[in-house]
Amino acid sequence: MRTVAGARHGLGLWLWQRASAVVMALYLPAFALYAASYAPLDYMAWRALFAPLIVKVATLIFSAAALLHAWIGLREILLDYVHLLGVRLALYLVFGLLYAACFVWAAAILWGAA
Amino acid sequence: MHLRVYRYNPETDAQPRMQDYTVALDARGKMVLDALLAIKEQDDSLAFRRSCREGVCGSDGLNINGVNALACITPLEGLRQPIEIRPLPRLPVIRDLVVDLSQFYRHYRAVKPYLINLEPEPERERLQSPAERTELDGLYECILCACCTTDCPSFWWNPERFLGPAALLQAYRFITDSRDQATEERLDFLEDPYRLFRCHGIMNCVEVCPKGLNPTAAIGKIKHLLVKRAL
Repeated sequence: MRTVAGARHGLGLWLWQRASAVVMALYLPAFALYAASYAPLDYMAWRALFAPLIVKVATLIFSAAALLHAWIGLREILLDYVHLLGVRLALYLVFGLLYAACFVWAAAILWGAA
Repeated sequence: MHLRVYRYNPETDAQPRMQDYTVALDARGKMVLDALLAIKEQDDSLAFRRSCREGVCGSDGLNINGVNALACITPLEGLRQPIEIRPLPRLPVIRDLVVDLSQFYRHYRAVKPYLINLEPEPERERLQSPAERTELDGLYECILCACCTTDCPSFWWNPERFLGPAALLQAYRFITDSRDQATEERLDFLEDPYRLFRCHGIMNCVEVCPKGLNPTAAIGKIKHLLVKRAL
C-alpha cells in the first residue's frame, strides 16, 4: 500500500507547549505562597527570596518554560499568518535569538543578585 | 420580510454586490430556504443549491447573518432583518450563493474516508460488538455540508494545507473503527504541523455544525492517540 506520511513533527512542539504550561502552573502559585510567607517585602527581602539555590534553579526553569511557551505560540501565529517563507524564517530567527537572549539574561540576573 | 443577498456572476460582474429583496412571507414555521425560494420566484437569476430541504443532503450550507448554517433547517423567526445571506466563506464563488467545494473534497479524499482492511473478505460481513459500534456515534452522521470547515479561521488562513474539521472528523471516524487496519498510516498522515496541528481549538466548528457533531473533540482524540503512540 502506498502511504503518504505527514512531516512527523508538530506533535513534539504541541506537547512541549502543554508541558511548559504545567511548569508555569506549578511554579507561579508555589512562588506566590513562598513570597507571601516573607511579607511585607522590601527590596532587600525581595532579593533575599532568590538567594537559595533551589529558588534560583526553579525560577530559571520557569523562565525557560515561559520563553519556550511563548516561542511555540509565536511559531503558531507565524505559521497561520506569515506565508512568505523568507519573512517567516527571518522572524523565527529574530524571535529565537531574542528569547535565547532573555533566557541568558534571566540567568545573569538570578545569579548576579545574591 | 427583508433579505440582503450576495450576488456575483464572475462572467459579467466586476465586483460582488449585495441585493435587497422583500418577500411577502409569514415567518412562522418557515425556514430561510423558503425565503430563498420566494426570491427565486420574483428573480430567477439567483443561483443557490438545495435538494432534500430537510437537513440531510447538506447542499444548502450558507452564511446567514454571519453564521454558517443549512438554509433548510434555519428558522426565519428570530433572525435579525434584513437577513444577510452570503455564500460559505473562503471558497471560490461559482455564482451567487454557489461555491466551488473542490478544496473541501480534496481534504476529505486525503484522509481516505473508507475502510482499509486487507484480510480476506468474510462470507457475510465484518462484525463489531455494540461497544465498538458505539465508538462511531457522533462521527458517521456528518453530511459534508462544509459549514464547519468554512467557519474555521485555521482553514481560512491555510485552506490548502489544514485539513479542516470535517475531514479530521472523518479521519477519526476511520481511525477508531474496529474493522479498520490502517490506523498507523492514518496517524502518520496526520502527524503534521499543518494537516492537524493548525487546529487551535477555536470550536467554531462545534458551534455551527447543523448535526450537532463535535469535530474539536475528535481532533483532541487524534492528538491523544498520537501522544500515546509517541510516548
